[in-house]
Amino acid sequence: MTSSNYKKILVPLDGSVYSEKALKRASEFVKIFDSELILIYVVEKSIPVNLLDRKEYLGMLQKFGTKILDNSKVMLSKKGISAKIILKEGNIVSEIEKVAKKEKCDLIIVGNKGLGAVTRFLLGSVSNKLSQSSPCSILIVK
Amino acid sequence: MAVKTKKILVPLDGSKNSLRGLDMAIHIARQSQGTITALAVKTVPGIYAIHPLGFLDFNSMKEVKKLLDDAKLRAAKKGIMLTGKAIAGDPGYDITRFANNSKNGIDLVVIGARGRSAAKEIFLGSVSNYVLHKSKKPVLVVK
Repeated sequence: MTSSNYKKILVPLDGSVYSEKALKRASEFVKIFDSELILIYVVEKSIPVNLLDRKEYLGMLQKFGTKILDNSKVMLSKKGISAKIILKEGNIVSEIEKVAKKEKCDLIIVGNKGLGAVTRFLLGSVSNKLSQSSPCSILIVK
Repeated sequence: MAVKTKKILVPLDGSKNSLRGLDMAIHIARQSQGTITALAVKTVPGIYAIHPLGFLDFNSMKEVKKLLDDAKLRAAKKGIMLTGKAIAGDPGYDITRFANNSKNGIDLVVIGARGRSAAKEIFLGSVSNYVLHKSKKPVLVVK
């Protein structure tokens, strides 16, 4: 077999139902392939926010992110899976790619859409960009 | 086993990338005791749909059949059952239609990141992109 053993799986989370689905799928993969799991939440910095509220807003997002990561970690540990969690700041797609490269991930599992309301029917923007430019294989959970 | 990936759809076009996708599908099928359905689509320009003589072009179906036989052999070596299917039509549209058809019961689509058109090396292939957007089933893009 080629290097198709999924040693490391990266799951970007955003707190939406779809990312939960992706997480569930990821936990199944971990059980089969016996791989490492890395969870990531990216605080988006590029949205224009009022300058005065900016710090507070980012703080809120950060709190939200850690809450999601902790919740998922607890959920996974109930299933007997340990996961590494990462919180990043910056542009969502490029940060995810950076982490995927740094950690040498073999697979990224994402939900097909996230919290964005506009792209209800289509593929979410983040999932789309990731599938176009990710360095490794990607599984889109529908 | 908890995983429901019993039937895996692998679209093939004879390119290296699609073969990599097949290898990956075999790998997954082995872990989850699933079966693979290989789908080879022969591109037919849309105009032939109106022109009945377009389908008289039986000769080129040979290439597609050979592709499926190769895939069958590859899967058999690893002990996986593979059923082949050859269709003539528009690749993106027919792959998604096949995947979404509940009669086929596909659980996962494994697709190479790009196919035969070498010019678009950096980007996702157009067919992969189409399937990614339109399919209602999970899609695994193999790079």
